[in-house]
Amino acid sequence: MAMRGLTVFIADIRNCRVRELEEKRINKEMANIRTKFKDGSLSGYDKKKYVCKLLYMYILGWDIDFGHMEAVNLISSTKYSEKQIGYLGITLLMHENSDLVRLVVNSIRKDLDDNNEIHNCLALHAIANIGGREMAESLASDVHRLLVSPNSKSFVKKKAALTMLRLFRKHPDVIPAPDWAERITNIIDDYDLGVCLSVTSLITALAQQYPEAFMLAIPKAIMRLHKVIVERDFSADYVYYKIPIPWLQVKLLRLLQYFPPTEDPNMSEMLHNVLQTIINNSQETPRNVQHNNAQNAILFEAINLAIHLDCESDIVRQATNILARFILSKETNVRYLGLETMAHLAAVTDELDEIKKHEETIILSLRDKDISVRRRGLDLLYSMCDVSNAKTIVSELIRYLHIADYALREEMVLKIAIMTEKYATEHSWYVDVILQLISSAGDHVGEEVWYRVVQIVTNHESLQEYSAKMVLHYMRSPHCHENMLKVGGYILGEYGHLIANLPGASPIEQFNTLHARFGLCSLATRALLLSTYIKFINLFPEIKGAILAVFNQYRHVLDAELQQRACEYMAIATMPTDDLLQTVCEEMPQFPERESALLSRLNERTGQTEDKRTWNIGGKDSNEKTPANLLAATKERNENGSVDDLVNSVSNTSISAAGGENGTVAPANGSTAPPTPAAPAAKVGLTWKDQLAPGHENWYNRLRDGTDGILYEDSILQIGIKSEYHGHLGRLAIYFGNKTHTQLNSFAVSVESPEGLIVANSHTLATSIGPSTQIQQLYSLECQQIVTEVPLIRISYQAGSTQSIYLKLPVLMSRFIEPIQLSSADFFGRWKQIGGAPREVQEIIKVQGKIELERARSILVNHRLGICENVDPKPGNFVATGVFNTSLSGKVGCLLRLEPNHETNMYRLTIRTTSDVVSKHLKEILHTALLYRPAPSTR
Amino acid sequence: MISAFFIYNQKGEVLISRLYRQDLKRSIADIFRIQVISNTDVRSPIITLGSTSFFHVRHENLYIVALTKWNANAALIFEFCYRVINVGRSYFGKFDEEAVKANFVLIYELLDEVLDFGYPQNSEADTLKMYITTESVKSERAVMEDSAKITIQATGATSWRRSDVKYRKNEAFIDVIESVNLLLSAQGNVLRADVAGQIMMRAYLSGTPECKFGLNDKVLLEKDPSNRRKTSNTVEIDDCQFHQCVKLGKFDSDRTISFIPPDGEFELMRYRTSDNINLPFKVHPVVIEIGKSKIEYRILVKANFSSKLYANNVVLNIPTPLNTAGVTCTASSGKAKYVPAENSIVWKIPRFQGQSEFTLTGEANLTAMTHKKAWSRPPISMDFQVLMFTSSGLLVRFLKVFEKNNYQSVKWVRYMTKAGNYQIRF
Repeated sequence: MAMRGLTVFIADIRNCRVRELEEKRINKEMANIRTKFKDGSLSGYDKKKYVCKLLYMYILGWDIDFGHMEAVNLISSTKYSEKQIGYLGITLLMHENSDLVRLVVNSIRKDLDDNNEIHNCLALHAIANIGGREMAESLASDVHRLLVSPNSKSFVKKKAALTMLRLFRKHPDVIPAPDWAERITNIIDDYDLGVCLSVTSLITALAQQYPEAFMLAIPKAIMRLHKVIVERDFSADYVYYKIPIPWLQVKLLRLLQYFPPTEDPNMSEMLHNVLQTIINNSQETPRNVQHNNAQNAILFEAINLAIHLDCESDIVRQATNILARFILSKETNVRYLGLETMAHLAAVTDELDEIKKHEETIILSLRDKDISVRRRGLDLLYSMCDVSNAKTIVSELIRYLHIADYALREEMVLKIAIMTEKYATEHSWYVDVILQLISSAGDHVGEEVWYRVVQIVTNHESLQEYSAKMVLHYMRSPHCHENMLKVGGYILGEYGHLIANLPGASPIEQFNTLHARFGLCSLATRALLLSTYIKFINLFPEIKGAILAVFNQYRHVLDAELQQRACEYMAIATMPTDDLLQTVCEEMPQFPERESALLSRLNERTGQTEDKRTWNIGGKDSNEKTPANLLAATKERNENGSVDDLVNSVSNTSISAAGGENGTVAPANGSTAPPTPAAPAAKVGLTWKDQLAPGHENWYNRLRDGTDGILYEDSILQIGIKSEYHGHLGRLAIYFGNKTHTQLNSFAVSVESPEGLIVANSHTLATSIGPSTQIQQLYSLECQQIVTEVPLIRISYQAGSTQSIYLKLPVLMSRFIEPIQLSSADFFGRWKQIGGAPREVQEIIKVQGKIELERARSILVNHRLGICENVDPKPGNFVATGVFNTSLSGKVGCLLRLEPNHETNMYRLTIRTTSDVVSKHLKEILHTALLYRPAPSTR
Repeated sequence: MISAFFIYNQKGEVLISRLYRQDLKRSIADIFRIQVISNTDVRSPIITLGSTSFFHVRHENLYIVALTKWNANAALIFEFCYRVINVGRSYFGKFDEEAVKANFVLIYELLDEVLDFGYPQNSEADTLKMYITTESVKSERAVMEDSAKITIQATGATSWRRSDVKYRKNEAFIDVIESVNLLLSAQGNVLRADVAGQIMMRAYLSGTPECKFGLNDKVLLEKDPSNRRKTSNTVEIDDCQFHQCVKLGKFDSDRTISFIPPDGEFELMRYRTSDNINLPFKVHPVVIEIGKSKIEYRILVKANFSSKLYANNVVLNIPTPLNTAGVTCTASSGKAKYVPAENSIVWKIPRFQGQSEFTLTGEANLTAMTHKKAWSRPPISMDFQVLMFTSSGLLVRFLKVFEKNNYQSVKWVRYMTKAGNYQIRF
């Protein structure tokens, strides 16, 4: 890097005593560089030196309008130092919209393709710094390639992940995130924690936009957390004050909050374990501040996640206790976070009792010396407010309002108004509180508050007299705020007559109370009061004289609005008849029920932040639109959709993933959990069925009629299967053998089961398979309903690139049949009972070659039908019976006759079952089995 | 009046700080540094921040700053600042940072003398030199004698002149120095042309002589009926100001300039004219941009004065575009070269005979720029000195010296025209 010219130049500039001298030196140097650049034929070293000088001038604040081309040329140099300066040059001199960016895109791509990882990093830096739309469009896929490539070094991956994050934040539409979701999420499994950390940041951003596509991240994140926290499997480099990589932990915990709780029991147990461990860990007293901070950061995120998962769980209960301790802490930050997290809990849970225990402490936090803590205390009080404690909280808040910080008051007033309205059990209390609020908070009461009071009073007849009385009382107090006058003006104008007979509230006294303040208030209020007066004329003709005097006076006032009102009211009041007056001053109709303007006002305050909030301040009802809940809502919709589909599928035997458009198949009844986390299909609109591995049919067909054997095999992986069935239950063991001499990473298996069939894995599979080893996965099967489809399995692993294999599992409907033996009489009795179509199906099947009776017999046996000997009068004809078991839809009896015709090489198959769906499907199964000719074995 | 007086160097360090009133704190000096010296946008010599006004003058590498909290007479304060510079120059030869640092004690002494509670006092260098000296302490007796003289001097009618001046040879030199300001449009129209002149006098005359001085000023001449026939040769002076020794009462009543000169050099008069100006040089620039990579220059300069005279140190500054990579040029006389530090071609002609003309041809190569900015084409500026020539045509008609002793005196008159802001657009 030693560049003498540059050093001398910098020394010269530094020695310039005044700006003018510096300018002269700069001009001279620029002219020199221009001449040199103009000449061309500069060595790489010289170019580098001059670009450096230009950059130095640039960072001193001088305009540089040449030399960009030289910087671009330097990028394509092979020497690292020259390349580095070239990149430095373009990142400083160019911005994302400059035209010259086009020139560097190709050079950057070349460097991204380079085998030298340092060059890759330089290119990634440049993209991350100046990546505009054009760059994002042309280079995003290259960045992605570097990110997912197994050959990339860890530090390249890290940078690639963060570069991608930058591009995504700038131009979210350019990144086809859903398409890349799977490969990106796989990186969470990377052995390097740093890579995992960077990619988690990326996924957190992506998952907020495309939650469904990134569902795959849930098990990965949970497993990663489990590994780090429970298994304590991490490299020592990443231990920060005895805490393993706290940043990653926090990020993963945060990531999980963007998804609905996982439905996989294994996963949720694992997660539960993780959270429990975190909470247990938090019990130990930290050594120093850093340890404390890291520990608390994880703990708070964990509590937030626990609340998100299930706010009534045991963990949350423990957490509540911890939080209770935190809100008493001496440290401001801890108090703040404790209150915030508690507000989160209060916002989503129904069980407020735990929190209510600490009400006193929380109320005390309103007097905290730190305003941000006070704010959080207010939020929490607002969130935890319900019918039972509303009165205490509201009265406490009103008391506090007088001494509250000015910045806080307006928000407080809004919140008090909302709480009062929401939890008021008696109307009089509502009126009391609001009037007290208006009289004491004064300027901090927004217009919305008193509008709302008027709306509510108008709509509740029982309130009207009481509020008129109270308003009058408040207006008599020496410090009456203008807002109170507005409310008073309106209410007395409408309902003044209700209290006119009370002592001290005679019409003239009402009028005098209002008019005493008339001169002191703003024009808008005066206009409102004039309207009140005209209403008074209608209500109390006896004080007309006094009011007309006021109108008369205001006919000459300067303000146009007041003058017009005074003139018009005067005219109406002095008409010969009162008809018009009465029509005009008709009692106000009720307001239509509308959403409280207060809530919308309050919600306006929570602005857009980088990461979306996972919850809103407020009661449970205000939290139904958070991202994770929205996702759950769409899921629910899908489930409903699949219920509809079920009806169709029963009739036309096509259960497919059509119900969930995105390939997510949820069980028809939401009550039972699906076996594995529903995994997204790799491409939207392409279901698993369309992507079955080529050549798979061969293995599959061979297994149709048996229970054990090889399901799939290629040069890398061999998949074997063993199964046994009993009634509606079954067990399935799948063996995955790694045939290579390297480890297979990011190994993941997921099963898509048709409706009515539950496929649950017994344990979580390892994410990698060692060289030449085999791992086993056990599934338990339960047939709940008549199933006509077979489950699909998806295996993905990383060998060079991510491979995905889609296979059908030979779990046919017939597996759930139990063979039975019937006597001839029984058989024909039932045969007749079932009757003909639609529950009977018959088919003539012509086979290739000779009919083999033994084969036919074995097919029937393999499909678990009991062959009843000597039932059919004609020997050689098969009669078989069985009972198809389901756990929810009961049993289905199956009767079957198979009549071979040796002359024509044809079978006649007749099936009668108690369900037409079963008949049809069983026929299909046997049909295929009878026609199937095993191909000559390959081994 | 003036509340405080500061001298800063170019970097904004305070060299001299003198407060005259209690209404300011010493830390006000920082405010000026922050708001004016380090703020390159500020060009105005007067800045008012809050209730404090800062008046500043730049001289050499110094900022001379006077502060006031009053609505003071701005012209007076600036005049005072220039007086301080003059006093400094006459004491130290050159009034710059080095001189201030070397003589700060003396400067404080002077400041105490020239300002009293913020009101300007005697700021005549000659007088000040009588009692504020750099010499060692004299004997008490001598001090007694001196102080008597000083009192008379400082309070007398001619505070600027001692009465006991004696010369063997009585001489008076008059220099008429004019600087010509010109702005010529690209089409060759004169947009602005004026002459700022000053008449400097060096008087080495004994006793207290009374001088009378005459110019070919129009007003002056037309007043005198005997000279009316010569009116064609007169000059109309827009505006003039005199040294304090000139008796303004007499000038107002009969337009004669009569005065008792101070001893040594002083500026007798300053004037300005804008009519009938003889421009000493004509410049015809032809600058053609050929494509985006080249500019061709052809500059012709012609001397417009008599061929008997000549100009010295003629320098033309011909701007080049900001993206110039190199320049080749040839001049028919003198030396021309490209100076990148100033973004211009500097053409120097040491001796320029009257009525002669020279040309420069050149070519500037340009480099490509990322942001195409049109070249602003700043004007060509010119510097020169022409001896025995006045642009305004002003001539000294007479200088008469009357003294009680009636001695013979010798008078010399010299004329010089130099370039002020001499700019030609192209």
